[in-house]
Amino acid sequence: MTRLTRIAQQTDQLNRREWLKYSAAGVVGFSFSGWLEALAATTTPKSRPGGCILLWMNGGPSQMDTFDLKPGTPNGGSFKEIETSVAGMKISEHLPKMAKHANEMCLVRSMTTKEGDHGRATALVRTGYLPQGPIRYPTFGSLVAKELGQDDAELPNFVSIAPFRALSPGAFGPGFLGSQYAPLVVGETRGATPAQGADALKVENLQPPESLSAETAEGRIDLLRSLNERFLGEHASPSAVGHDVAYRRALRLMRSAAAKAFDLDQESAATRDRYGRSRFGQSCLLARRLIERGVPFVEVTLSGVDDQVLGWDTHANNFDAVQKLSDVLDPAWAALLDDLKAGGLLDTTLTAWMGEFGRTPVINANGGRDHFPNAWSTALAGGGIRGGQAIGRTSKDGMTVEDRPVAIAELLATICKSMGIDPATQNISNTGRPIDLVDAKAQPIAEMLR
Amino acid sequence: MRSDRLIPAVHAAQCAWALAVATFFAGGLVAISAVTARGESTATPSSPPSPGQPGTADANARRLTDAIDKALDSSWTTARIEPAAAADDAEFMRRVYLDLTGKIPSVERARKFLADAAPDKRERLVDELLGGAMYAAHFANTWREVLLSGTNPELRTSVPELESWLRLRFAANTPYDQLAAELIAASNEGTSRRARLSAATIPSPIAFYQANERKPESLAASASSVFLGVQVQCAQCHDHPFAKWRQTDFWSLAAFFRGVDMGATAPAVGDPTTLALVDSFDRSGLPIPGGKGTAAPRFLDGTEPTWKPELGNRAALAQWVARPDNPFFARAAVNRVWAQFFGRNLAPAADSSESALAGHAELLQEMAGQFVANGYDLKQMVRSIVLSRAYQLSSKAKTLQGEQAIYFAIMPVRRMTADQLFDSLVQATGFYEPPASRSQQQPFQNDSARVEFRNTFAEETAGASETQTSIVQALALMNGRLTGDATSVESSKTLTAIVGAPFLDTPGRIEALFLAAFTRRPSNEETARFLAYAKSGPEDKRLADVFWALLNSAEFALNH
Repeated sequence: MTRLTRIAQQTDQLNRREWLKYSAAGVVGFSFSGWLEALAATTTPKSRPGGCILLWMNGGPSQMDTFDLKPGTPNGGSFKEIETSVAGMKISEHLPKMAKHANEMCLVRSMTTKEGDHGRATALVRTGYLPQGPIRYPTFGSLVAKELGQDDAELPNFVSIAPFRALSPGAFGPGFLGSQYAPLVVGETRGATPAQGADALKVENLQPPESLSAETAEGRIDLLRSLNERFLGEHASPSAVGHDVAYRRALRLMRSAAAKAFDLDQESAATRDRYGRSRFGQSCLLARRLIERGVPFVEVTLSGVDDQVLGWDTHANNFDAVQKLSDVLDPAWAALLDDLKAGGLLDTTLTAWMGEFGRTPVINANGGRDHFPNAWSTALAGGGIRGGQAIGRTSKDGMTVEDRPVAIAELLATICKSMGIDPATQNISNTGRPIDLVDAKAQPIAEMLR
Repeated sequence: MRSDRLIPAVHAAQCAWALAVATFFAGGLVAISAVTARGESTATPSSPPSPGQPGTADANARRLTDAIDKALDSSWTTARIEPAAAADDAEFMRRVYLDLTGKIPSVERARKFLADAAPDKRERLVDELLGGAMYAAHFANTWREVLLSGTNPELRTSVPELESWLRLRFAANTPYDQLAAELIAASNEGTSRRARLSAATIPSPIAFYQANERKPESLAASASSVFLGVQVQCAQCHDHPFAKWRQTDFWSLAAFFRGVDMGATAPAVGDPTTLALVDSFDRSGLPIPGGKGTAAPRFLDGTEPTWKPELGNRAALAQWVARPDNPFFARAAVNRVWAQFFGRNLAPAADSSESALAGHAELLQEMAGQFVANGYDLKQMVRSIVLSRAYQLSSKAKTLQGEQAIYFAIMPVRRMTADQLFDSLVQATGFYEPPASRSQQQPFQNDSARVEFRNTFAEETAGASETQTSIVQALALMNGRLTGDATSVESSKTLTAIVGAPFLDTPGRIEALFLAAFTRRPSNEETARFLAYAKSGPEDKRLADVFWALLNSAEFALNH
């Protein structure tokens, strides 16, 4: 048998399997009976919801004024440390609610990278790889969505809330994994100001125009079904299937009870207040609602307060800015952990706080701190993470890592491991080369895991 | 249009067929190939005409079409493959409109063509489209994506000076060697700063340099991928076992782009105002990362330029790239244009470890030879391809036809680009006035509707899943403003005209909507179904529903 014949036969098998898989999932099939029914049918949820909520601190948060304070030193600044629920583990006075969650939190005070440029650092932290050559590295959420997501889920497997992508657009996309692993984006910050108003966190175009009656909408979809049935019957092709799958998933989302996740009015005013009536607070509430409904990866961006888009980029007036940001961060993250715990989801849901780098320990002439990749902090809580500890240590002046330096790939490998994902899993890149989910040279940090 | 991709031998062995097949069915341009049994090839390439030979451009194109038909026919016979049926007029017309003008035809044009009984009507249509302004616009869109592939996607939505430069070149059918040389040796030397401040209105390829962040290594990777069809950048960081290129090859190529970075006065991406781009005469080369010495400028075939004092580095590279005896240039051009029309390369890239199917490599060689002999005439090559039998095959198949597809014995169903889909929606619905500045001589001012559309529909990457339409895209087409306006009796030109046409009865109106969206008439069964629906309520509203369904269907959204 020539190799070509083998390829052709295997192609056929492969695609037959794909078709069967789609059919079984009620997504597509040669028989179109039940097109509508399949959309209405509820899918089997995973045994237990859970996954990862990435709290993305756009601009690079100051470790010196959040989780690794150096009070009383020349670099310390004006913030005080406070005790937490874990003896000896102190954090900023402006994170009092999170202090009560210290037993769930694992601080990493010894992050160290080499990228001090927003764009390159964002790409590095969010993909695990430095941008180089022709390879389009996927953002971490897309990688996780591919591993933990379900093809037939009612909601997308990756939702990105309020991102600000302009500095490094590729670092927010699915890269070589392709559009099926792209995030569903809500409340995107475009240009210089965040989306505003009540609809800011809603899915765009989720509902037909209001002028359209439900009956008409059904009629339209019925016509569409008959057209696609004919076309797919005559054109057995992956592109045609891809089109049909996207429409079915979009329609399922439109009709899904799970889409109610985006309707925050279903929550009590008291709950919404607990998260804080900030954009970030309400985004965290939405993240919880999505995780509860089986979405495995949600990211929430805290870009700033008062319409800032790079609020953490505190080159001037660092202390005023970080205090305001902490006031937004603290209630939102704490309420998120409270609710996950109350719902029995904290064991399966990791929350991860990070930005693209830290800030200089030395305070500049404008009362600001500048970009500093040398020694910075991240914080994790929940999921398979062992809380109540701080990993690594920086020097008294905050300038260097003195104990247990942690590279980005090690952190991401640890996060993978905590979710039961093998970080050595490989994906085929756009150049045809297999790429490790997380660079296999990096090992998970055992002491961070439960 | 995607860039060529390479499956290195080492990985091809690891991933075996699954990778090749998966990538192929993802619609990528990966050259699938296979080792065929010895002696199976019966293709006998005819010798290209010598440059001095008399013959009109038409005759040359016809000769090339014959060569394509002969080679593929022989390849099908050898492989015992039955090609798909011929595409009917409607199928051909829609496809060739999308591929040559970037949008579907109007109802009027469709009616005229379908009614035309002359045997040469397809040839006349092709000539008409190649001579029209939309050919240049569509090829400029396509090549913008090719040239900026792998760079910041947001930048691609606002490069008016590059788009107008490309439009002018394609409209004039500038010989392809000249186009490549102009881009590789691009310079704004001698232009004053004041002139550069208004550079957004001066057609220029300088955006290529900005999109690649003026980095020699990015520019070398891009230029060699686009114009030579090779992936030398795979060796950027270190040598790979079994790979053709060494790290020194890559950095020797990058060394020609030394000096484009212009030091500290880096302008913002997308801002052409402050960029001075001049050629460099510094031959001292670039350091190879990892302390492995210095790479002096050297061509990929291992030769070095014959330096003259007045010859700049990039000028030297441009001369070599476009030389008729360059082993990569014409071949890469034919492969790229072929892929534009068939969804994938004719034969594997020059540095691929894969071998071509019987007859395909010979055909590529022959087409490349004729391309050179005919003065790098792009339109002529395009004409010869779209009039080939393979291009005029149907895309219809009741089951997946993997083998037929590999042999170009069936037309693959392809996704539209964001621009094709946008322009086709505009064409079908007529609700939207393209800005006056879209004429080819004027810089292309991107209007907000198009930019918004591109942001939703542009591929983030030429990745592994190009067959995927996203949920967000489907939602935008079902419920978004563009479709909403297009299917509203109040604001849609096409719909209003058809609904209000006194000379049309209801079946006639349904037929007109089908022609507007699909370039075909409805089947009897479809007429019956849609007629019943139209009669189920107020006719204008029901016809709006019909139009909505047509515009959201796979048949509308795909190039087939």
